[in-house]
Amino acid sequence: MTGRVTPLGFSVLAVAGCALSLAVLSARPELFVAALPLLLALVPLALRAPALDHRIAHEVSRARVLEGESVTVTVTVQARASIALLELLGPLPAGSVVVSGRHRAAMALRAGQTGRWSYEVRFEGRGAHDMGTIAVRVRDRFGIRAWEQRHVDPKPVRVYPHIALLRSLPRPAHARASVGDYVSSVLGEGIEPGDIRQFAPGDRIKQVNWRASLRLGKLYVTQHQRERNADVVLMLDTLAEGGRAPDTTLDWSVRAGASLATAYLARRDRGLIHWVKPGSGRAQYERLADALAWADVVFTYVAKDLAVVPPRVLPPQAVVIAITPLLDPRFTRATLDLAARGFDLVVLVVSPVEVTRRALAPSPTIDLACRLWTLDRRARLAELHRQGVAVLEWSPPEPLELALAGARRPRPRLVAAG
Amino acid sequence: MIRLLAVAFAVVLSAAPVLIMPVPAVAVIALVGLLLATVGVAALWRWPVTAAACVFLADYAASLWVAAGPVNVAGAAGFGLALLFMLESVDLARLVRRAAVEGAVIGSHLGRWSGFGAATLLAAALAVALASALATPMPSAIAPLLAAGSALGVMTTIAVIFTRVASSRRSAGR
Repeated sequence: MTGRVTPLGFSVLAVAGCALSLAVLSARPELFVAALPLLLALVPLALRAPALDHRIAHEVSRARVLEGESVTVTVTVQARASIALLELLGPLPAGSVVVSGRHRAAMALRAGQTGRWSYEVRFEGRGAHDMGTIAVRVRDRFGIRAWEQRHVDPKPVRVYPHIALLRSLPRPAHARASVGDYVSSVLGEGIEPGDIRQFAPGDRIKQVNWRASLRLGKLYVTQHQRERNADVVLMLDTLAEGGRAPDTTLDWSVRAGASLATAYLARRDRGLIHWVKPGSGRAQYERLADALAWADVVFTYVAKDLAVVPPRVLPPQAVVIAITPLLDPRFTRATLDLAARGFDLVVLVVSPVEVTRRALAPSPTIDLACRLWTLDRRARLAELHRQGVAVLEWSPPEPLELALAGARRPRPRLVAAG
Repeated sequence: MIRLLAVAFAVVLSAAPVLIMPVPAVAVIALVGLLLATVGVAALWRWPVTAAACVFLADYAASLWVAAGPVNVAGAAGFGLALLFMLESVDLARLVRRAAVEGAVIGSHLGRWSGFGAATLLAAALAVALASALATPMPSAIAPLLAAGSALGVMTTIAVIFTRVASSRRSAGR
């Protein structure tokens, strides 16, 4: 604990010096007497520091929240010796706001007394924060001297992006060997009827298609398509962003990524994002959400592009969903490169026009600039379309579901043989 | 409420010199001090309040010097206490601004100030009695030098203490 003279101490010293000087100059004893209380207040400085004995504990109600949700921070101070004045400054991470109570507190405690104080913090944007540091300042009885310390007890809080429920998703063109929710092109056990063929020894009676058999005069059986899962790669563009936090294009991209990851993992697909190892299930969602919480635009002089990615890093036959505002030409080149390498590619373009317009003061010039920008972007998207890339445009804050509704691609089916 | 208390102390400090010597010059200086104090209390800035305290002291010294009346120990002690409490109340107002404050904070401060006020009055009475006893045998030529030397000694002692506290802080920081 570090002790120091407070600014009040220096003020009192200045006024006491002024009083003594005027007393000598005016030769009036009243001014010596007037200086007396000021000098008496400074006496504790000459004494030994009192034993400051207190215990601080704090709790954060939740360690994982979604954007827009709040946590309650409760701080308990137990004083073993009397404390004239205790100042506490609770954690308030960047991008969060206090919704109830105050994150600063002042309390006076007697020996053995316990003080409790709590406040509620709402997180506007995603991120990973540590709410484990409380700044503590103890003052002496006249506020002339103060002792400061930091109470550190790590309390990580992860704020995950808001998840939208999605019903329609870009369907993968290829499925994996594991069981899942997609109707694959391979025939076998399943629910979805795939093909009809003549009865062969070994076929089960329940597979007989009686309608076709009666019409054609021979026994025919219905073959079903297998239900399989797929590899989905979510590629997030963190090269550039537009708008104002917590509603930048990157924030919306992360929300879209989290929603897509949740929806795909619910279908038992394997998800991969930002070099998180592929996996499935709830644990994979946690890994993806953690990675998304950290996503940020970082300035660097190192110019990277996807040419440095080894071909085997991305799972073969995976559907790659690139989420991008298309503000950086390097990412556009990367998507074209992936398409050229034969990946099943869908580009979800997060339009930066509306989020940028919302961040600026409305004016006719801004409106005109946004309209011109929209036209320019349409031309660029059309160019991507022409190059054979499936492009979905999403203009936040409109629902992501609307943008994905255009993603229904024809389901691959086998043509009935013979 | 704490700001009102600070303003009340400022009003008392500006009124005291005018009551001792009711002349326009003293009143004008008191008004300047009051203005500075009001600015400091309103904005919760420390420097205008410190400056106002010095202005009030200068005004008080001028009024005492011009009036050349009998010594009023209780009044002087009260003036010094008002100066200290004005500084303290502004500091307390800064501290509790936008903070969750327990009711005991204000109450304990007011109680502490009351006790300190009584102790100061007692100490002032004792100091004046001691000074009177010492002044009788002392030659009048030495008195101003002794007063100046004592004042310098007190300020030097306090400066040394401040330096010691500051140096202990630096060493704790390392």
